[in-house]
Order: sequence, then structure tokens, then C-alpha cells
Amino acid sequence: MPSITYIEHNGASHTIDVPVGEHVMHGAVYNGIEGIVGECGGGLACATCHCYVDEAWTDKVGGPASQDETDMLESTAAEVRPTSRLSCQIVVTPELDGLVVHLPETQY
Amino acid sequence: MKIDPTKPVPPVVNRRIGPDQVPDHVPKELIRSAKLTWGPEFLADPYGYMANLHHTYPPIWYDVGPFGNVWALIKHEDALFALRHADIFTVEDATPFPRDPNDYFYFIPIEIDPPDHRKYRLIVDPVFSPQGVLKLEKQIRDLANELIDGFIDKGECDFPEEFGRPLPVYVFLDLMGLPRAMCGTFVEWAMDLLHSNDKAIMAETMQKISAYLKEAIAEKTAHPDDAVISRIANATIDGRPMSEREIFGMVTFLFIAGLDTVFATLNNIWLWLANNPDRRQEMINDPGNINAQVEELLRVHSVTFSGRTVDRDVELRGVKMKKGDKVMSALPVCNFDPDVFPNPTEVNFHRQRKIILAFTVGVHSCMGAHLARLELKIALQEWLKRIPDFQVKPGTRIEYRPGAVIGPEELPLVWK
Repeated sequence: MPSITYIEHNGASHTIDVPVGEHVMHGAVYNGIEGIVGECGGGLACATCHCYVDEAWTDKVGGPASQDETDMLESTAAEVRPTSRLSCQIVVTPELDGLVVHLPETQY
Repeated sequence: MKIDPTKPVPPVVNRRIGPDQVPDHVPKELIRSAKLTWGPEFLADPYGYMANLHHTYPPIWYDVGPFGNVWALIKHEDALFALRHADIFTVEDATPFPRDPNDYFYFIPIEIDPPDHRKYRLIVDPVFSPQGVLKLEKQIRDLANELIDGFIDKGECDFPEEFGRPLPVYVFLDLMGLPRAMCGTFVEWAMDLLHSNDKAIMAETMQKISAYLKEAIAEKTAHPDDAVISRIANATIDGRPMSEREIFGMVTFLFIAGLDTVFATLNNIWLWLANNPDRRQEMINDPGNINAQVEELLRVHSVTFSGRTVDRDVELRGVKMKKGDKVMSALPVCNFDPDVFPNPTEVNFHRQRKIILAFTVGVHSCMGAHLARLELKIALQEWLKRIPDFQVKPGTRIEYRPGAVIGPEELPLVWK
């Protein structure tokens, strides 16, 4: 299983094995990582699973998956950066083993 | 079925009501009547009754009753599944408010599925998104304090009337661009619509609301401002102006959704606070944990339910459901699921965080959730700062009346 590292705003780091095909959001929500809320469960309706993809991974992960994601990113509580993604829209693949995402100070 | 938001068509309604109208595919042993929201056992202690259903009822049952027969879902996992699979569990004919079939409209965006759904949400997201509601923080804090100023020296208040109602309703009316002076009338309409359990009163009330909102929309079309009704009235979808039906359906839906839920939630939570002085003190002593406190209080005091219609035959937890069956996610019950929230009735501000179902999940999860959380957080902070010690007025009998939103009817509070 690919392992994903979530680094919270306060620096706390959690490395979680997330099944291929799941979203990066789920690894956080089901393991009690506070920095991601994921209110709507991946419905592109809430903008509370915002993350910043680590610079080393941006090429592999790519930008927003759809215009909808781009639109929703404008709704996030924390500052939007070029590396911003909604973690519910990043599907875990074997290539993303080792992925590092940074979590914003707040989701709402 | 794919719908065209610009051409509203009443759905083919196939309602089954009562024990004589149970379809053949429902196993006899799964037919029950929990009388959620209206039975005497429920009304005596709604949250205790709902938590106990995990011990007394099967995880899924076919509930028969006077308001319609539905598959009741009480497992957290099952509700997540149903609410996240809009292709199987559709929102068609799942919103219980009566509409005139000859003058039909959709409640927007709840009755619109993706991809069109997002286009409507975009119109109001700048207001209701996490970022949007943060701009309201000062305004809500000031309002909370103004309301408290109005009664703090009396040593008592009628909590629902003097705080629970005006706080969320004033914020909402300001957002919509409607006059605060109409608060009383609007709330009366919301009560008739949500709590009368009487189809004739509900229909008559919908007409009053329609007439008022049509006029408000006309006014905002002629004189646009920054508020929500004006945004909707002057919005474009796919480069075309919204139709009159779409505007009306969206404004009406927000109006109904915005009046009653935070009100009931505040009433529930203040009753709990009044009866639990030690826990209140625990909250006051740990202000940095306010977000977890809000989340946990929402978990154990969720106020409403979420209906869907089965769009194709499906099997859930071994139970076969057929196209046309109604399904209801009993959100407050799911929040007491012991498999997800161990020792579920205990209020624990240090619980491992899980998705709570107060606002549903999935594409149709509540767009007002961020506003509701912010209002609740500010209300708790400001109230506990100024009135840390209070109780229910001695001699009060706490009563719940039947209705789609759960909360105590009267809540007089006193303090020294």
C-alpha cells in the first residue's frame, strides 16, 4: 500500500498507508488527522480537505483535476497557493507512494 | 432520471403510507414503526430514544407510519453510503414540502444532481464557503453580545425567543438581504411548514412564502444589492440568465433551510449546558478546544433527517431495496452508532475525530454547515464568557413537540 505523509500546520507529521484507489483525504479522515475535515466526503461541495502538495511531488500529482476543483479551491478558508489541491480529488496510485502533503492552518 | 432545471416537471409520486401498503419484497421481520419525530416514547426523550435504537432495532428496517413508509438507515456506514451515491439514492421526490403540480419548481440546489449542481452552488459559495463565512465573524459576535446585553441584567431569559431564534435568523436574513423586522413572521411560516404535520397548513404556508419571496425577488431584480437573493436573481448559468422558476426555487429552498435548524440546535445544546455544570466548566477551562467541542455537541444534538428515493434496485447490508422505495438516513441516530463512536451517549470533547452526520455528507451536504458551526462556536464563546453559570428555571417541564426538526419547545434559563 502506498504510504502518504501528512504534515500538519504545527509540524506534526503522520505517515499512513492508504489503499490504491482511495483518495488522499480518506487516509487523513479515517486516522484522526485533524488538519483535514472532509465534510462532504469527496462530493466537491465543502472545500474542507484543502492541502498543499509538497513541491517535490507537484509534477507527479498535477494540478486540479477539473474546473469544479479549481472553482472549489477559491472557497477554502486558508490561503490558496499554486500547490493547493483538494485532497478528495487526488486518487492514490502506486506512483504516489511516499507522497507528502502539507495541511493548512484551518479548513473552516 | 436526468432533469432539466429550467423545465420543472413534478415527479411521479409513489407514496406508500401505513402497514397496509408494504411492498412484497419487504421481509415481514423488518417491518417496524419507530415513530421517529412524533411517537410518545420519542418525544419523552428524543436523544435517549434514538441512541437506544441501536440496541432495540435492526440496523435497517422498513418503517411504516402515517407520514410515509421508508427504509430507515441508522448505521453510520450505511448513511455515508446512501448519501454519497446520488446515482442510486436520488433526491427526486425526497423533499417533503408540498408544491403545486401546475406551478411546479425544483428546490435548488438540493434537487439538482451533478454536474449542474455545482453551477448553482457557485452562485452562493462566495457567501457560504469556509472563506465566505469567516467574513461574518465580527458581525455574528457583535450580534451575540447585543442579544445578551438585552437580558443579562434580568438574571433570566426565554432562551429560544431571546437568543436561540434571533441569533441565527438575523444573521440569515442579513445574508439574504431581507428585513430583520420580518423575523417573527418568517419563523411562524417555518413553524407551520416544518412542525404542523398538516398537509393543508403546509400548502397554505407555502403559498404565503411564495407570494412574499416573489415580491422580494422582483424588488432585488430591479434594485440589486450584495446579498444572496440579489446574487441569485441576477446570476447566469452557462452564460444565460437564470429562469424565473430557477430563481424562485433556489431562493425558496434557502429560505426554508435557513430558519429553523440552527435555532433548534442552539436550544438543544443550551439545555445540555444548563444541566451539566461540570462539563460547562470543562469547556470554559479549555477554550483552545472549542472546535472539537462544537463538533461533539453537534454530534449528540443533530436535529434532522435526510430522505432519498431508490433509483435502481440495490442491496444494502443484505436488505433488498427496489426502485421507487423511500430511504431515510436517521442522521441523529447514526451519530450514536457505537461501531463508530464508542460509548456513544457520552459527550467526550477528546474523541477521535470522525465524520459526523449533522450536515449529511456527499454532494448535497449542507451548504450552511460552515455558517452553522461558526454561529455555534461564537454563541458558546460569548455566552460562556458572560453567563458561565446558569440553569433551567426551576419547575420547568422540558417538552418536545412533533416535527421534522428536533428541539425543546420552551427553555427558560436563570442565573445569578
